[in-house]
Amino acid sequence: MSNEYQRIEEFFCRNMEQIKNPIIKSFLADAQNLYLVQKAILYPTDRNMKMVDETFQSHYIRVRTIKYVSNLIYFYSLDFDKKRRRLQNRYLLIVDNGLLETDSTREGDRIGKGLLDTVENEKLFISLKKLTHKQLQILEMIYVKDCSIKVIAETLQTTPQNISNLHRKALKKLHHMLRKEEK
Amino acid sequence: MENKYNEETLMIIENFIPKIKQCLHQTSFQEREDLEQEIKLKIIEKLATKEFQDTPSFWDFFT
Repeated sequence: MSNEYQRIEEFFCRNMEQIKNPIIKSFLADAQNLYLVQKAILYPTDRNMKMVDETFQSHYIRVRTIKYVSNLIYFYSLDFDKKRRRLQNRYLLIVDNGLLETDSTREGDRIGKGLLDTVENEKLFISLKKLTHKQLQILEMIYVKDCSIKVIAETLQTTPQNISNLHRKALKKLHHMLRKEEK
Repeated sequence: MENKYNEETLMIIENFIPKIKQCLHQTSFQEREDLEQEIKLKIIEKLATKEFQDTPSFWDFFT
């Protein structure tokens, strides 16, 4: 028995460099894989060697796939946004934001409408109703009326920092409520 | 056979959802849903066609 341990130990000592290779390391981290390898070291029959190889290959492919997909997601999202911006710059006539402040239709749509009237999502509506009046007022000014923080601070006669704080707190509260709802 | 592949792909996508969500921040708010769908589509497409060749043998590492 101790002889077996020695042989395994010797094998690993001899290949210290390779063990440090991340792919080998992660492969051996699995107890079952380690067991297979140990078996193959002690009894290096064709079958044992082949079994290690097969599991290693599937492990290798899995790692490669994960890496590949991860990169794919990252670069694809970058490209996607680049493409979108290029198109947007090319076709300036697709009006998304309103060219002028006094843009007729969209502005007209909004007049007289509060934040609660514009919300279509039921859960969001319920959560919004639970906010304090002031928080709701600030959210409305920021998201519906497109006011700057500074302007809001002036109308409510307080400091911009305070508005910013209240805004953040309101969003946090909303986020919290919606999360709880999801669970 | 086909079914097995699909399940694998689905698992991969599910495991990658946090990463996808994180990458959605690359684009503007309006485009995020589109991008999410596009990414998933791309993953399915790629996993169906992609094959990793020349996987090394385990014993190649040890001489």
